[in-house]
Amino acid sequence: MTKSLRQSTLQTLGLGSVTDIFRGGRLPADAGDLVDRVFGGPADRGSLVISGANGIVGSGKMIQLSARLEPFGVRSISLARPRTADGIGPHYPRLVEAVGRERADRIMGNIVRMTYDGNSLPADLGKWHPRFLLEAIPEILEVKKEHYRLFRDAFPGIEIRSVTSGFPSSELGVGVAHPAFPHEINKIWEIVEDKTSPVTQLLWALGLIPVPVSDAWSFVLDVLFCGMTLAGLRYHRATNMPFWKIDKYVRKLAGPNPFRAHDVIGAQGANFLTWSCLHHLAQQYGPLFRPTPELCQRKQTSQNWYPLDHLRPLVDWPLDRDAEEGFADWILGAMFQMASLLLHERRGHLSHINAIGELCAQFRRGILAMIRSVGAEGAIRRVEAYHRLHPEAAGRSWYPAAFEQIESPEWQQLYVNAEHDGTVGVISIGRESYNGDVDAELNRAIDWLKAQRIDRVILTGDFHLATQMVGADTSEFFPALEDAREGHRLAAAWTATARRLYNEFKVSVGFIGGKRCLGGFLELLMHCHYLVAVDDAALGMPEVTLPVVPGMEGCHWPFRKANPAQWPKLVRLLLCGAPVKAPEAVEWLIDYAGPMHESLRTVWRLVNGDAAGLPMRRVDEGSLQGIPADVGVPASDNPATEAARKAILDSIRASTTVPLSDALEVQARHSAGFIAGSFCREGSIGAEHKKTMGL
Amino acid sequence: MKESLAMFPRARIPYGTWGSSYFPAWQTSALAEVNIGQFAGEAMNRILGIRRVPKSELDYLIIGSTVPWHWKFWNAPLVASCLGHRVPGFHLEQACATGLQAVVAAAAEVQSGANDVVGVLTFDRTSDSPVGVFPERRAHQRTMALSDVWDNFGFDPATGQAMMTTAGNAARKYRLDRREVEDIAYCRYQQYFETKASGFLDRVLVPLDVLNVQGRALGRITEDVGVRRLTLDSLRSMRELEPCVTTGTQTHASDGMATLLVTTAEKARQLSPRPEIVIQFVAKAEMRTDPALMPEAPTLAVEKLLAKTGLTMADIAVVKSHNPFAINDAVFSKVLKYDWRKVNRTGCSLVWGHPQGPTLTRMLIEGLEEAVDRGGGLVLVLGCAAGDVGIAALLRVTEGDRS
Repeated sequence: MTKSLRQSTLQTLGLGSVTDIFRGGRLPADAGDLVDRVFGGPADRGSLVISGANGIVGSGKMIQLSARLEPFGVRSISLARPRTADGIGPHYPRLVEAVGRERADRIMGNIVRMTYDGNSLPADLGKWHPRFLLEAIPEILEVKKEHYRLFRDAFPGIEIRSVTSGFPSSELGVGVAHPAFPHEINKIWEIVEDKTSPVTQLLWALGLIPVPVSDAWSFVLDVLFCGMTLAGLRYHRATNMPFWKIDKYVRKLAGPNPFRAHDVIGAQGANFLTWSCLHHLAQQYGPLFRPTPELCQRKQTSQNWYPLDHLRPLVDWPLDRDAEEGFADWILGAMFQMASLLLHERRGHLSHINAIGELCAQFRRGILAMIRSVGAEGAIRRVEAYHRLHPEAAGRSWYPAAFEQIESPEWQQLYVNAEHDGTVGVISIGRESYNGDVDAELNRAIDWLKAQRIDRVILTGDFHLATQMVGADTSEFFPALEDAREGHRLAAAWTATARRLYNEFKVSVGFIGGKRCLGGFLELLMHCHYLVAVDDAALGMPEVTLPVVPGMEGCHWPFRKANPAQWPKLVRLLLCGAPVKAPEAVEWLIDYAGPMHESLRTVWRLVNGDAAGLPMRRVDEGSLQGIPADVGVPASDNPATEAARKAILDSIRASTTVPLSDALEVQARHSAGFIAGSFCREGSIGAEHKKTMGL
Repeated sequence: MKESLAMFPRARIPYGTWGSSYFPAWQTSALAEVNIGQFAGEAMNRILGIRRVPKSELDYLIIGSTVPWHWKFWNAPLVASCLGHRVPGFHLEQACATGLQAVVAAAAEVQSGANDVVGVLTFDRTSDSPVGVFPERRAHQRTMALSDVWDNFGFDPATGQAMMTTAGNAARKYRLDRREVEDIAYCRYQQYFETKASGFLDRVLVPLDVLNVQGRALGRITEDVGVRRLTLDSLRSMRELEPCVTTGTQTHASDGMATLLVTTAEKARQLSPRPEIVIQFVAKAEMRTDPALMPEAPTLAVEKLLAKTGLTMADIAVVKSHNPFAINDAVFSKVLKYDWRKVNRTGCSLVWGHPQGPTLTRMLIEGLEEAVDRGGGLVLVLGCAAGDVGIAALLRVTEGDRS
């Protein structure tokens, strides 16, 4: 019997708990089995059909799915109207970049291109045995329904999913698999179906991120993205602020550039889709979503939101504090009200609603994390301020009661969950970069396990929303660029959390199941007594390239666990920033690397006290001597890199030559000092800070 | 005084919906680097935003400028696109009278019922003015090049005279005393600095940042750069270029924009932050004087205006005189027997420079603000223009709707 802090997101896919994965030593769904179920066995393998395959969505999804299904012998059929511009071919150069020419050729060669007139299907489509249709044709309900009828008549039993942005499944009569831009790489799919289907589980098994949502007009991403755009439009109408400038302030406030995103996606399609979503939402939910005249006009004209290059903006002005607060009322007030609607209608698991904004719409923090940070009362005040500016929105679709449960685990554990079976606890992290929210939630998860008297723990990704661990969320460093005390606070607090994994459990095992684990996340996981990785995982400390100095004990903790003979490898890892493959890192950075199933079983054995030939590498709590500074790393032409290397070596020297009890403080000081210095301010974090916050 | 006199009874200028950029002297600011038409459109958008006028209220746009700018062929529609609101409109040009003629033309649009909310946007960049190359088959050169600002200032093709020569001619004709002209100039500087210190200009001028093509700061337009703190002694010691003309008693070229709205009475009440203030058009007059006597032309236009309206200078509450030469004001005072100290009390183009197109628009805006401060009254705006032309217009500012 597994107890959990809140429901695991995997369970929303019918894939059990994270604990089950380790206990069973295998992933809960196998891509090969599911391909057989969806497309038929090898002997009568059917094909995937994407209609509207020359469109932005259709072509992107063709590349994404064809790349994953080609190894299973599933043909991908592209169906497009004649005389539509080729949408698939232009993906080729980037595909070559990503997977190499040979593999790219195989993927492209797996795509069969067909045209049809919209009224009848190509005569020889049948020879490819279509089993699954992903419909990506224009957002016209009757046209879509007729399209499904054609396919069902020709291929009874075919699975159909629509990529629609706005029509509910109940209107369409088929399930929905609503993807996110950029379609060739974004893994998120919002899924609407009565019961989790093999198609959805197959998406998961192929490494994608299906998230179940409820059936409604416009799905979570579109409410958030179109809603953010609309909030910007309303501010524009009230103040005349140009769209490019609204984007800058939205980016500062929340992360996205909604207007730029439309232009990048393609104004013709994106303007129409945004209008279509808002139009239908307004019909259902009232003026909160009513499109403005500017959007209605651009829906017709396909005009870009940003000026053409030769008319790049000339006139600028700053907003004072009061004006920025007013801006926040317009934007966040609208967004919080829309979020209240999503919650009221129980559109999905709270972690899903929260993650969709981050993974698909450039939110720095998910919408629920934003609300949580200001509290229920703060969020309600913000919406009320918005209503004073836009009274029309106050009449309908406002559910302040939706924030009442803000103290519940579902709200408080948006990114980090914990489970246990009475003996072994599993902490799973559903965010790819580490930030203050994750840190706080991780502490709460540890507290909960401790309260449940669990002293054996696995720390892992969540096998769902986080498909890799890329390190610290560098936007968290922005305050530290200007105030070394803030950098120190951050490094000390996050390190203290990491140490709990070492200090407060009898056994802790970190598991790296994704394709990479870098920087702050690697520092976090290395605090576990054991660290296990799948053998194709890349591990690295890329801080030197930013440049920053690791601040979660990366400069001394791994040295204290490694044999001195291995120290040069650690120094090289820190000074070069290049990752190593997991098998190369065994014994000096991690304890075990192997195939997925072996790794899962190893984790389970270790956490249950069966060291299985893997002695725990103890942490040397004394002062270390003899760590080499010269490990043959060639000098860099970049003065910032050289400065960071020197600072990292200083941090290594200072934090390894003191007892462990002092090292936390020493390395936090070094890290904070460097972040507040000129090289970091002028590096990529400083540039990002300037771009985001420097208005 | 004919109380009921109104040139365009349907037209109003909504109080407080206007604004101007600062006018930095030519080649001294980021404005020297930009497409001034684009700048003006974007700046008007910003000014309307500050004044809480949604640009979507605009029906029509009249732009005024005198120096060719890149893509001027595309005219008001392009500037409207830069403003972010696609309305039709046209370009109007009458040298230094442009800024007033554009406002009058806007009032005519409203009066005719063709449009209800007309934006007036005047602008010019004298810095780096373009050089035109003109085929001239009757000239021995066959092709002639013309630097738009300086070559025109130096040569009126109709008379063969330079602008500055017309000032000297006027000084001779009216037997002006250099010392008095310098006293006028000195007074104008004093008036400007006192006005600036009082905060009055904050209601007229809007600070703007200018971006380069990468979106980074190119400069800030937050001062009438080029305005010198002249002393009377320094004015007296300057070299005389023409009778009564020194660098201190004439204006300087500058860059900038200015904008206001003209609309119906009802819409003015809706758009203005002070709907109780009513601004109406009373009358306009123009005169062309004898060759090469440009500075006296505005005075003649005022005389004509007063004759038409039956008003006297005693009826006027505010006088704003565009004075590229202090001589203009000296002639005006001498002919109309009007104390020059009462003219241009809140600053003038002699001091803050002359970007040509927007000059009279800014003069008008300052005059209207001054009238509001004085509790209303008639505002007389006058100025000279190339070709020995003078223009004068009267507007009435009242509190309480007279529609």
